[in-house]
Amino acid sequence: MQSILTPYIELKNVEVVYNRDVCALRDVNLQIARGEFVFLVGKTGAGKSTILKLLSREANVTTGDVLLEGNSISRIPRNKVHLHRRRLGIVPQDFALLPKKNIWENVGYAMRAVGATKREIRARAPEILDLVGIAHRADAFPNQLSGGEQQRVAIARALINDPPILLADEPTGNLDPEFSIEIMEVLERINQRGATVIVATHDMPVVERMRKRVVTMEKGRVISDVVPEPIVLETAVVDA
Amino acid sequence: MLDRIEFLLGEALTALRRNGMMTLAAITTSAVSLFLIGGLSYAYFRVQEYGQTLPGKFEMRVFLRSGVKEGEISRTAEAIRKMPDVATVTWIPRDLAWAKQKREHPDLTEGIENPLPDALKVKLKALTNADSVADNIRGLALVDPDGGVSYLKDEQRFADQSLQLIRWLGILFGSILLATAGILIYNAIRMAALSRRNEVRIMELVGASRAMIKAPFMIEGMVQGLLGGVVASFMILAAQRGLIQFLDSVKIQATLPAYPMLFMLGALSLAGGAYGLVCSTAALRRESA
Repeated sequence: MQSILTPYIELKNVEVVYNRDVCALRDVNLQIARGEFVFLVGKTGAGKSTILKLLSREANVTTGDVLLEGNSISRIPRNKVHLHRRRLGIVPQDFALLPKKNIWENVGYAMRAVGATKREIRARAPEILDLVGIAHRADAFPNQLSGGEQQRVAIARALINDPPILLADEPTGNLDPEFSIEIMEVLERINQRGATVIVATHDMPVVERMRKRVVTMEKGRVISDVVPEPIVLETAVVDA
Repeated sequence: MLDRIEFLLGEALTALRRNGMMTLAAITTSAVSLFLIGGLSYAYFRVQEYGQTLPGKFEMRVFLRSGVKEGEISRTAEAIRKMPDVATVTWIPRDLAWAKQKREHPDLTEGIENPLPDALKVKLKALTNADSVADNIRGLALVDPDGGVSYLKDEQRFADQSLQLIRWLGILFGSILLATAGILIYNAIRMAALSRRNEVRIMELVGASRAMIKAPFMIEGMVQGLLGGVVASFMILAAQRGLIQFLDSVKIQATLPAYPMLFMLGALSLAGGAYGLVCSTAALRRESA
């Protein structure tokens, strides 16, 4: 049984070596609590995406371990990885939308791929599209949408399994600043509904504005882990 | 369940449509290879069947020396009857044979004394040992060693050689084309996987099982082989009809047995489908390796 002290997600002494010359992560230790919103920031090649890949088991550790609720993700057998991924919502940087399907069909396609019936899709898809604020464009095709809207669809698709964890890799990487804020607001809304959200990004203005926990990485190492101070609103006392 | 099947079939059909030319190439090559293998197998069994019916039609004539007595004829007939591979032995008295000749060719036989010897009509159980039976009969005392045994040796040789030729042709060309079809199906599936990498990626991201991801490709390979089998069975039907028309046109009277369309359709479709499945599985194994 999981102890209340057990972190929800934990990386323990993780090292990922792709080949002799490329070490993606070095001795990374990180703990994330259930329901947290965490930014992984750093330059390209710092190791942010590798952490997301370890969590989704697109990559595996060379040494160390990655735990989810105390259970090792690294040791999930290959034929069970898909079951693990159903607990995650994964938002890729490039949206990965199907250009010949409209938004409704894009979300429906993903749902059918995990075995949902048409009836289930009809019941659930509007709710998800509504949550990310794209329900009004359900009949549009990806090339008819702005970058921000496409990213919303990608987020909607990530939510089809109602995952407790959402992983987003550079979700604002291809967006204008105004859309970046919108996307972050969508992610925050999902976080407020209880999901643990982990976002890899190098979009510092957005990160600073969001005031969430920021894990900074450099050359495969965690160099800082900052939880922002809560904002204290000063109350002016006006003498009568 | 029906939803899932519909999804998988829909995905497979999309892939078939998307790789139209490659699919067409894979289907036609499968069809030609199955046509050769299936058609030649069909011809092989037909010739073999014909070969098995030959002994029934096939009579070996044994001519005895002149002036043998009836008792000696009976003993010789008995000795032949006891030989393995001999089905029946019938005595044809020289007087009866000559009377028949006189009836059929009165102008040729008029005024000639009966030159025919007594003869035995021998039917065999198996065609393959005809030569050894003939040698044994020639060794009997009352049988004329030179020209004492007469039979349709050439027909037997023709049937044997035809079977061998068909077998080798089938093995040679069938294997080459089957390998080609396999490579084409393999490549078609790999191209399909490549052209659908977006869909595959999405499926992986949302946690679709490996079976769910692979199934459409396997169905695609199976459909290619299956359609090849269907086309091949119609090609064999057309070839048989063409052969009948050709034989008619050159005035050869031959009764070819009816083409077992349903059986061939089922057998070739199944064989093609199974082969397509094997090739697509191999392609996916490589893809996920």
